[in-house]
Amino acid sequence: MDNLGIVFALIGAAAAAIFAGMGSAKGVGLVGQAGAGVVTEDPSKFGKVLILQILPGTQGLYGFLAAILVLLQVGIIGGSFEPISTATGLLYFGACLPIAVVGYFSGISQGKAAAAGVGIIAKKPDQSGKAITMAVMVETYAVLALLVSLLSIISVGKLGV
Amino acid sequence: MAKLKMKYIEIAAPIEQGKDIFDFLQMRSVIELHEQEETEGLARLSSGRTVSQFEKYMDTAQTALSILDKYAPQKKGLLASFEARREISVSEYIKKSDIADKMLAVCYNICCCEKAIAESKAGIARLRAAMDWLEPWLSLDVPMQFSGTQTTAAFIGTLPGDFTAESLMTALAPALEGEERLECEIVSHGKDRSCIFVVCHRECKDKVYEALRTLGFAYPTDPTKHPPRVRYERSQKQIEDLTEEIKSSEKEIVSLASNRSNIEFVRDYFSVRHDKYEALNLLSTSESVIIISGYVPEKRVDALVSQIEEKFTAAVSVTDPPEDADVPVLLENNSFNAPMESITAMYALPAKDDPDPSPIMSFFYYFFFGLMLSDAGYGLLMVLFTFIAKKKLKLEENMKKNMNLFFYCGISTMFWGAMFGGWFGDIIPVVANNFFGKNLTTADIAIWMDPLEGNNPMTLLLFSFLFGICHLYLGLAVRLVMLWKEGKRLDAICDTVPVYLLVTGVAPICANMIAGGMPQVVLTVGKYLAIAGVIAVVLTSGRSSKSLIGKLGGGLYGLYNVGSGYLGDVLSYSRLLALSLCTGVIAQVVNMLGTIPSNPVVKAVLLVFVFIVGHTINIAINMIGTYVHTNRLQYVELYSKFYEGGGRAFAPLTANTKYFKLKEEK
Repeated sequence: MDNLGIVFALIGAAAAAIFAGMGSAKGVGLVGQAGAGVVTEDPSKFGKVLILQILPGTQGLYGFLAAILVLLQVGIIGGSFEPISTATGLLYFGACLPIAVVGYFSGISQGKAAAAGVGIIAKKPDQSGKAITMAVMVETYAVLALLVSLLSIISVGKLGV
Repeated sequence: MAKLKMKYIEIAAPIEQGKDIFDFLQMRSVIELHEQEETEGLARLSSGRTVSQFEKYMDTAQTALSILDKYAPQKKGLLASFEARREISVSEYIKKSDIADKMLAVCYNICCCEKAIAESKAGIARLRAAMDWLEPWLSLDVPMQFSGTQTTAAFIGTLPGDFTAESLMTALAPALEGEERLECEIVSHGKDRSCIFVVCHRECKDKVYEALRTLGFAYPTDPTKHPPRVRYERSQKQIEDLTEEIKSSEKEIVSLASNRSNIEFVRDYFSVRHDKYEALNLLSTSESVIIISGYVPEKRVDALVSQIEEKFTAAVSVTDPPEDADVPVLLENNSFNAPMESITAMYALPAKDDPDPSPIMSFFYYFFFGLMLSDAGYGLLMVLFTFIAKKKLKLEENMKKNMNLFFYCGISTMFWGAMFGGWFGDIIPVVANNFFGKNLTTADIAIWMDPLEGNNPMTLLLFSFLFGICHLYLGLAVRLVMLWKEGKRLDAICDTVPVYLLVTGVAPICANMIAGGMPQVVLTVGKYLAIAGVIAVVLTSGRSSKSLIGKLGGGLYGLYNVGSGYLGDVLSYSRLLALSLCTGVIAQVVNMLGTIPSNPVVKAVLLVFVFIVGHTINIAINMIGTYVHTNRLQYVELYSKFYEGGGRAFAPLTANTKYFKLKEEK
């Protein structure tokens, strides 16, 4: 049981990838459903709908990013594996939580906002910038969570706990 | 620069010249027509019927073009969608407009051919169905209507179920009561249905019929007059004929495809006429005079007036638009600032009192875009692509602006990529270390620093805030200038200076708390600035209130607003760091995936493959992310400081064409 540290670190990385990914998948799916209806009516709006659909996808990317960073830091990938203490492992786990949790919920919320924005594209395609901006407002919180996760992950290794 | 000043122009001309003036104005496309109020003695033109006529012609031409695309598709280059419309001079346009009637006939011809094809196809489907139905009867060598001779009666029809001649006889036997003067033949049989031919003596006709009925006998719905094969072959012949017809119709369409460019021309021609007649609704006429009025950008007005006066006998008056008029907005900027116009328009065009934000935000837009994408390799690709597109392709004005947008963004991306040592992630160290046995890190090739190393993320975060504060200060400065120019000098000072003091004072103190290392002098100065800022905000924010309590309350509330508002605004710039790291780390992961195998040859092959696919995806995703976040920083953080928006875009009377661009002769 001496190597529990690495286990916690891996669970953290997995949580970041899993929950942020789940949130994004759900969000992107929501926009896709709304968008498909608009595209049936007018296929030329596909490009605009696509941008809206991609927006809630970034949370998954952020989760992936945090996960990869943890894996790199503890050496699960990249080769140089050294056992880490349980405390360090738990720290990595904690560092992953912001993007895991916020990624999940903001992905869904952003998906809803973007799906509603699809209505703007359907009725007033020249106003699509506003639909995008409204959806991006949600993303701010995912970005902030990512930032906390990133800074923590990068710093944990240097603590020497 | 920036927002063009508009003039209101009124042209009065004899009605005989109305048409020429109108054509002239449409070709010049500098005037937005403005509907006049009803005045006595002046009447509106009504052109509704002509408009719908032209609309119909336009649709016909458009349909003909899409039919041509279907049967005689045009080869298009990959970059064709970027290319501009072909140019045609006005005199050529007028000369060519004679072909309109002829081309319209060609369009109708194409549409007729398409219709004939559709009908033939439906006919073939119908014949095929009939043939399918006939197929089981083909081996019958008498007409299906055959009902017997003088002494015999024949039954031709179907029975449900699978029968052979013997099993049918057995099945019929009980009902026939020993009657044997009949002969059964199975024409064809399947699992669900058998086609049978039964012949019997005329005398026992009814009995046999009854016996067959009990088995479910049915006459065919459409019996043939001749043996079925005759009809079958006739249908076959008809299908061949129809196929021939389809082929000849298709050939005719293909032969008409040489008219494509002319049809495109008449489509545009009808569209121009359509717009013109629609605009005619906005005119007023008396019996002898026509009056045209509208908005013209000030810098174009002199040329327009002198041209009109030179060509026509018309009276032109140019005035400033009235104070409360809904004046349209047209933006004009140099090539560095012009790409921002579409970003501005996406938010909202400037209202009457707003300045054009395009030149204000352009520098920071490129700056932030580069910082967030921050990969020199990606920047290089953007610069190369846009540069080649601008050189090689003939681009529309708008497309040119978009290309410029990504050109400048690309330069900035290259700059920041070089600062952070990011060339397609860490491809330079990766290749050097894996294939040439070097020991290189990203920090070695970075001009400034590797943002992932050591404490660098913290440093870059603070710099992000610093850039953000500069951005916010710019917005505030614009507000100051705007209010000052409006003559509200007190407001100009009170709204901005306390914020400058407060933020400038607090920023170094906060930075010191996070990172430390600020000189004591800066901290002391910061402290006093912050205190001065707080006092100034409290004193000035409540100034609109009458009572002392109200002033104090307003002041404190203002302090809360400034504090929370600016804190949120500044923190929002942390996305600069987050997205910058995002691009870099994903790019590194891509490169890492490519270097997993240990065999150098396999590694090289895999790396090339992973490199191309991975970086393409990374560029696409991160460019979209960067684009929307850069826009957001402008819309939410910058615009909120000074900009309202809500202007109406200038929509001139113009030749609204799709394939040809009318070029004015000098």
